[in-house]
Amino acid sequence: MTRALKALIVDDEELARRLVREYLQTHPDIEIAGECENGLEAARDIGALAPDLVFLDIQMPKLTGLEVLELTGRRSGVIFTTAYDEFALKAFDLHAVDYLLKPFSQERFDEALARARKLIGQVQPALDSLIAGAAERIDRILIRDREQVHVVPVERIDYLEAQDDYVAVNTTEGKTYLKRQRLSELEEKLDPRTFVRLHRSYIVNIAQLQAIEQQGKDGHAARLRSGKRIPISRTGYERIKAIM
Amino acid sequence: MHPLFSDARKLPIYLAAWLLAGACMALLLVLTGLAGWSRALLFALPVALVYGFVAMSAYYVCRAFPYPRRWPAVFAAFVGAPLFSAFTWIAMCQAWNETGRAFGDAGIIAMPPSATTMLFAAGFCLYLLSVLAHDVLIAFDSVQAAAQREAESRVLARDAELQLLRTQINPHFLFNSLNSISALTSIDPKAAREMTIALAQFFRRTLSLSEAEKIPLSEEAGLCENFLAIEKNRFGRKLGSAVRIDDEARSCLLPPMTLQPLVENAIKHGIRHLDDGGAVTVEAIVRDGWLHIAVENPAPPAASPSPGNGLGLRNIRERLAVLYGDRARISWKLADQRFLVEIALPAEREESSSR
Repeated sequence: MTRALKALIVDDEELARRLVREYLQTHPDIEIAGECENGLEAARDIGALAPDLVFLDIQMPKLTGLEVLELTGRRSGVIFTTAYDEFALKAFDLHAVDYLLKPFSQERFDEALARARKLIGQVQPALDSLIAGAAERIDRILIRDREQVHVVPVERIDYLEAQDDYVAVNTTEGKTYLKRQRLSELEEKLDPRTFVRLHRSYIVNIAQLQAIEQQGKDGHAARLRSGKRIPISRTGYERIKAIM
Repeated sequence: MHPLFSDARKLPIYLAAWLLAGACMALLLVLTGLAGWSRALLFALPVALVYGFVAMSAYYVCRAFPYPRRWPAVFAAFVGAPLFSAFTWIAMCQAWNETGRAFGDAGIIAMPPSATTMLFAAGFCLYLLSVLAHDVLIAFDSVQAAAQREAESRVLARDAELQLLRTQINPHFLFNSLNSISALTSIDPKAAREMTIALAQFFRRTLSLSEAEKIPLSEEAGLCENFLAIEKNRFGRKLGSAVRIDDEARSCLLPPMTLQPLVENAIKHGIRHLDDGGAVTVEAIVRDGWLHIAVENPAPPAASPSPGNGLGLRNIRERLAVLYGDRARISWKLADQRFLVEIALPAEREESSSR
């Protein structure tokens, strides 16, 4: 027996969504589960509706298509659509990930769909490497908190603290969010000129640094504008000295 | 021409330096007991001054045998020319000294062979000094000229870049618009045709307007209306607009593609990210001989993506600076979740329209 496949259409332009809808009419076994007009809705609906196929636009408000995947952990049944994005397209070609270039024909659409059908439910390692390599430098941190998604621009980070499998993201507004990631992974994606790992468990935004204080005989601690004190390890002290 | 003659400030300084050299020589004459102070000065100052002019020839020596030198050139510049000049110098000294006989003396100063030798050495050294000074002067000038050439080529490169920027088509806009048309062909063929025409008009206008250095505001506003018509097809009810341009402002001139990128940014970085959309407002008025333009749009909270890095705005600022110097101003600010860009330009009009 064949079960109807559920599809989610994600694009911020209504006409673009209607076009996909129209092309899908020739595939009666596919049922349209929903439409999303921005990345946040997509992140929510991918979790809630568990679609078999996602037609995902790359440039979208709030979250880009790739950020949606990063956040949801979705690694299968994705068909990318894009009008033009020099950097994204290079990455797609590099990792041999298929995508639909707007405007696309019904034939091209069917071809991409046929390819995706064969792989439904299978995790695609190519997507993993695409997403891992997509942002060598991030300018904001995304945190998923049940139904909500928090977006913290890096300049609003006060300091990051490792807590077991999580990183506590402390913002300059005094809020704390927990992100499931290793501190070292995050460290690689932050600009080393603005973010310094002062300690095994701490990364500090230099812009928020107020003073470095002597602590004990030859220990040091950093005082942030917020008043928070961060311990500095020996290697951390070498790093901060090299930057100052 | 010799650079000392081309700059009125340099010549007096140069001659003062030679008078100083003359004074030093007089001191030498006094110290060696060849003359008293008054006679020594009377002898040394005039010849030093005249020799100063002779030593200017060092400039041509340096030019003829520029650095880096080969052996014959070094010989000519550092030995030949000073030697030749030193002989001239001695002849001058003796001739001048001879005039002293008119006063019934043996000369202005006593000129034993030892004095001649000393004067010869002084003449040689002074000329050599002049050669070195001119060398430094020439090197300094060529460094300055190179710096100026570099600055000029930078300006040219930037002009070319701006030209490219003006004519370049935003591929994202083009392909998304074509995708919208593709969708409309089955949903609403009439709307598809209208959008095709609007898109063609927009690009045609972009091309023809970019050729002019300045265009009337009414034309730039027309381009913006074209652009907004296309974007409204893409974004539907989410995108509103209000363009208010005073009649007086319509004929004012501005560089092409100044306003359109601002409207584009208002959508790309502002309205597009808002769930309920919003309206972009364009206003233009003329006041006290200045054209004031304001583009405003609601902006998403700062945590949203692609707030823009201000590159487009800085490009416009640079273009205005090239065309108007400091007589143009562009500023932008984000306040109360509204983004506002303001431009002030001198209110210029075409000759025909100012009658």
